[in-house]
Amino acid sequence: MRALPKVVALSTAGLLVATLGGCASSGDADGKTTITWFKLTETADSANATIDEIVADFEQANPDISVKVEERAVDAHKDALRTTLGTSGAPDVFFSWAGPGLGGEFIDAGASLDLEKYYEQYDWSKRFSETTMSTVTQYGGYDGVPYTQRTEAVFYNKDLFAQAGITAAPTSYDELVADAKALKAAGITPIEFGGTVNWHVMRLLDSLLETECGADTYQDLVTEEASWADESCVTDTYTEFATWTSEYLNPGFISINNDESSSLFYSGKAAMAIEGDWFNQVVRDNGMDESTVGIFAFPTGTDRIYGFNENNYISANSKHPDAAAKFLDYLTSDEAQQKFIATFGSRSVNVDVLPEGQSDFDAQWNPIVEAAKGVYMNNDQNLSLAETTEYWRIQNLVATGELDPADAGSEFQKFIDQE
Amino acid sequence: MTSTTAPPRRASRPAVAGRRTRRLARTGFIAALPFLAPALAAYLVFVVGPTVESIRLSFFEWSGFQGAPQEFVGVKNYVRIFTQDPVFWTAFSNTLVWVVLSLFIPLGLGLVLALALNRPLFGRNVFRSMFYIPGVLAPIAIANMWRWMYNPNYGVGVTLAELFNLPWLAEIQWLGDKNLALYSIFAAFVWQIAGTNMVLFLAGLQSVSPEHVEAARLDGANAWQVFWNVTFPALRPTTVVVLVLTIINSIKVFDLIVGMTGGGPAQGTQVLALWSFQQSFTNHEYGMGNAIATVLLVITLLIVVPYMVWTARQEKNS
Amino acid sequence: MSLSTVPPAAAVALEPGRPGLRRSRGGSKDYVRIGLWIALLLAVLIWSVPLVFMIFTSLKSEADIFGTPAFVPPWSPEWGNYVEAIDRGNLLGAGANSLIIAMFKVPIGLFISAAAAFALSRLRFKRQRLLMGVIALGAMVPIQVAIAPLFQVIMGLNLLSTHLGIILPYIAFGLPYQTFILYGFFRQIPEEIDESARMDGAGNWRLFFQIILPLSKPALAALFILDFVSTWNEYSIALALLQSQESWTIPLALQGFQSQFTSSYGPLNAFTIMSVFPVLIVYLMFQRYFVEGAFAGAVKG
Repeated sequence: MRALPKVVALSTAGLLVATLGGCASSGDADGKTTITWFKLTETADSANATIDEIVADFEQANPDISVKVEERAVDAHKDALRTTLGTSGAPDVFFSWAGPGLGGEFIDAGASLDLEKYYEQYDWSKRFSETTMSTVTQYGGYDGVPYTQRTEAVFYNKDLFAQAGITAAPTSYDELVADAKALKAAGITPIEFGGTVNWHVMRLLDSLLETECGADTYQDLVTEEASWADESCVTDTYTEFATWTSEYLNPGFISINNDESSSLFYSGKAAMAIEGDWFNQVVRDNGMDESTVGIFAFPTGTDRIYGFNENNYISANSKHPDAAAKFLDYLTSDEAQQKFIATFGSRSVNVDVLPEGQSDFDAQWNPIVEAAKGVYMNNDQNLSLAETTEYWRIQNLVATGELDPADAGSEFQKFIDQE
Repeated sequence: MTSTTAPPRRASRPAVAGRRTRRLARTGFIAALPFLAPALAAYLVFVVGPTVESIRLSFFEWSGFQGAPQEFVGVKNYVRIFTQDPVFWTAFSNTLVWVVLSLFIPLGLGLVLALALNRPLFGRNVFRSMFYIPGVLAPIAIANMWRWMYNPNYGVGVTLAELFNLPWLAEIQWLGDKNLALYSIFAAFVWQIAGTNMVLFLAGLQSVSPEHVEAARLDGANAWQVFWNVTFPALRPTTVVVLVLTIINSIKVFDLIVGMTGGGPAQGTQVLALWSFQQSFTNHEYGMGNAIATVLLVITLLIVVPYMVWTARQEKNS
Repeated sequence: MSLSTVPPAAAVALEPGRPGLRRSRGGSKDYVRIGLWIALLLAVLIWSVPLVFMIFTSLKSEADIFGTPAFVPPWSPEWGNYVEAIDRGNLLGAGANSLIIAMFKVPIGLFISAAAAFALSRLRFKRQRLLMGVIALGAMVPIQVAIAPLFQVIMGLNLLSTHLGIILPYIAFGLPYQTFILYGFFRQIPEEIDESARMDGAGNWRLFFQIILPLSKPALAALFILDFVSTWNEYSIALALLQSQESWTIPLALQGFQSQFTSSYGPLNAFTIMSVFPVLIVYLMFQRYFVEGAFAGAVKG
């Protein structure tokens, strides 16, 4: 044979070998079961380290199971889930927000395994609270195992507030606006957001929606029982939003992401941020002095707190559901959760695990959570994927002054109607 | 096509069925098949098939999940994208703007650079390389490079503003201003392909006869007249090639936009290639996504097929 | 290509004593040349700003990035950025994937294209020019048109996130351009060579391997290099088909790094540099093949 055909033959043979090699490594080698877990990269570095620890502990206790963790940024994770679920590339365990707009889409598509038998086997319903269990059973079966219950509120820099002459956290929306004005007058950026990740600025919009429309109308709007074009509070919401984005947000917010904008908070250049209970650890990791940071609930005037749940689901076509369930059982066990809440936030989904020796900073969440009688969810969890894309588009148009707030509601309703 | 003149040896053989088949086995479709088969197979399965499927799916509504049903909806998707989709026309006009701009700026720049670097100069090869190298880099890498340059806090704009004391320069939101972002990304595109155009024009310039140039010069033509009357016409075939390549590349633009803005702000830098991708993969609206893709296909064909027919005709004539 | 618009100057008598095409005379011509050279130098300097900016940033520590202006080179290079990029971004793993994919795809794809071009240009059969046209059409159609169904096809074959699963579409999408170029190249090889080979009893395969291919070495080499580079740089098909982080190629790893660690500017720029480094090396080593590839494209018309 001549040289060239030889080369081709070798290449083809090599290709076959590589393929077969690829097939072999995709699952289980030497009797070990490997399960994959798709999750987010945690914002706090120490939280990522905690996950590694918990996984290592589990693997030690279960030498025949190996857990492969794949972490991604928020949007990349959403993309990965959408393209792999229901296919052979699906992970065994996947993290998802529990709201009907995000997690619900996966349930609808049949990508989540019903876990009823594991709930019985491990007696999980005793482990979790009513609220978190409701996110599991909301679709009729048993979908997912609770991972976190997140609460969101406004973090503020006490020193900067003092500089602007503000002595106490605002308790009403008008006070909040007055505080923002005062901060701005003192030459301090009142609040920071990263505009390139749409879900960051959305937190402000959602909170304003709850403030202007109240709990009932909020729910009606996001379940499409009320029209965004007709409710006058919608226009009020967007008008307030336009004021905030043009006056009180960090300049140039539209071009940076949340990591970059958060650094403004850590370095004391911005006074406020709307974040969740995971942010406590982030604040610590980034060298801020805890005693200078305070937390107050966004003063919506309703008795609901901003928040959402996150669950871990097992794929419907996972090849190792038993191993996956075992891992999730360990993850939510007392032992693991003790480590977990130290870096993930003050509350564990496991009702038996209570935060011990909370720092004052972490304890600031307690009164906020206790005062809340309900939760209003981030709208990218309430709305469907296509609706969320449109919601964000309108949000950004209003934020950059390209769309009149009076038209925003009807623009969004137009989209909902055409679906 | 020239016809094969059979060498005398063969002509003397009688046309016996068995022998004729063996002879014919050297040419004809059967003989060509083993050579064509792998290419055709790959092309059909991975290019033609999916393209046809894309057109088919554009008449359905589907979430893309394996178990989900595909619902036939006729032309509803097309009606939606043409009349109701708030983003489609932005994407369409952006694509158009992109194509038109790339016909002038990167093409013109490539030509100018080629003319400048065609004459002997000290360090000419280094110059040529420097302009060409961006064309070799991965577009996604270029996107990240330029995104860093446009950073509103630490980027080039801010640095220059501090250097020359021009505070307004630091305020510009290169990628955040809806009216500016597309052109900011376009600048990166020019950086990427001007050098490639330059090399193509340089190749074409080699076939401009120096005698004609010298003759025109001696006839009293100035530099511009020489260019317009001698060089440019000689470059026409090359120009056409560069034109078509530029159009195709600009219709395809995807990586740059994904890497720099993801289509934002507020879908302001959306283009057809990216919007169709996002509709399918992010919004799980496969029907809409493929409808947009089909529109893209039609636009491409409208540009490309006349060109191919024209080239084929040129070949026949020459 | 005709140069028909200029009346061909009749034999022009050159003034005696003056050599033919020498340009370097004294006076204004030299100033023009120097001016041109300076303009070009400035252009090149401006052109290299993105690269320079990136290199500087990649070598600065975080404090330096926030503290010193962009165009100031770093005093003490922060090599840790590179280490961090390799570590957190799985650069070596992604590099291995890119390398394996390119090393298989390029020779195999080129071979398949050459075979097809051979059949289309030298083996006579009906409608071969039409077929060539249909195949060439594939070079012009944007990939995004087919990408969603392509994903479904690969998924159906159970080849998502595998090397084979991306090599096959890569080959298919690379075919049109390569076949077209080789088709043009093969057509220029005189038919007499075919005939004398056939007279010696050569079948099609021998004709292909022993005669046509060796004669096409320049075109094949150019296409090889160009294909290697474009395979290495490919992003959108990889984005759709390589879901698991382990299977990522360099472009995906770069974008993934950017989305995860957006504000780690030092390591991010280090990662970008390392990702373009192999291609730069290939270019510097094989420059003339890029130019020859351009020749093949431009002159072919």
